[in-house]
Amino acid sequence: MKKLLKNDAFQFLSLSVVITLFIYAVNASRGMIIAQTVYVTFFEVLDIIIAVSIFIGLFQVWVKPATIVKWLGKGSGVKGFIFVCTFPIFMGGSLFTIFPLLKTLREKGARTGAIASFITAWGGKAPLLPLETKFLGWHFALLRLCFVVLFAFVMGLLMDWVGEKSV
Amino acid sequence: MRAGHIYLIIALVLLGISFFKEKQKTKEALKATLKIFYTIIPVMVFVFVLMGLIQAYVSRETIASILGQKSGFLGILYAEIVGCIALFMPPAVFPFGGYLHDNGASYGSIAGFVFTAILIGITTLPLEIKFLGKRFTIARNIFTFVLTFFIAALMEFILK
Repeated sequence: MKKLLKNDAFQFLSLSVVITLFIYAVNASRGMIIAQTVYVTFFEVLDIIIAVSIFIGLFQVWVKPATIVKWLGKGSGVKGFIFVCTFPIFMGGSLFTIFPLLKTLREKGARTGAIASFITAWGGKAPLLPLETKFLGWHFALLRLCFVVLFAFVMGLLMDWVGEKSV
Repeated sequence: MRAGHIYLIIALVLLGISFFKEKQKTKEALKATLKIFYTIIPVMVFVFVLMGLIQAYVSRETIASILGQKSGFLGILYAEIVGCIALFMPPAVFPFGGYLHDNGASYGSIAGFVFTAILIGITTLPLEIKFLGKRFTIARNIFTFVLTFFIAALMEFILK
């Protein structure tokens, strides 16, 4: 029981149910609006979420962190720079999961700017494109993807500048 | 055919290729997939409840006046702040962003929200400091916030 209560999935689901029931008790029609929104949106995205989960699962297994470290090298030179501004776009995960990888990269001698570019480019989130295009459209998603590369590039320059200054 | 079905077919084809090349790895990938799916779904449901709450209690006019085109640069700033404190997982960012857009938020605001929600997290700050250092964390988060503002403004300019 204790284990169940500490489970993130259980917490999110029970909190969702409690909120919906509470609103329903206070005002039935508003409660129904919430229930309807959850129901409709859920079935709208279920197949996309399954597909996205498969994409990320495959990527995790076929492209191991060690492989990434090898490809990146020190993230220096034009090749390394292009790599950190583009490749992470295709990775899944949340910030929690990429920090350990970045620490390894840094210990292997990656520059401050390369690490920062990596995080920013990772924000491109190509595996989630099915979701992004569904909810925000192709124009928005593609434009954002282009800007992510520019974003990562500028971020790298700025963070290298910060990294060099010794304060 | 629904777009979702097309993605599913692509995913299954990729799984097939993976299985053909290496069975063991594909098994691992399926395990990872299940784990990801189980992690995403509850958060998604929670975000859908939040969307329902807004639907039930906040009018379209209110959202449009805070995050709409008329609110301009301020709207982008508000959206960025919401993104920083939102505890969303990346997959939940897009349905919520799309929902806000359908209800009158501008593309610029949504871009601001999406970028900061993915790249800045109040809850991940301690972890980032632990792994990458205080100096790095502070500089990266400030630069991300500022650069996001300019990119969001540019996206609004292009897409409006």
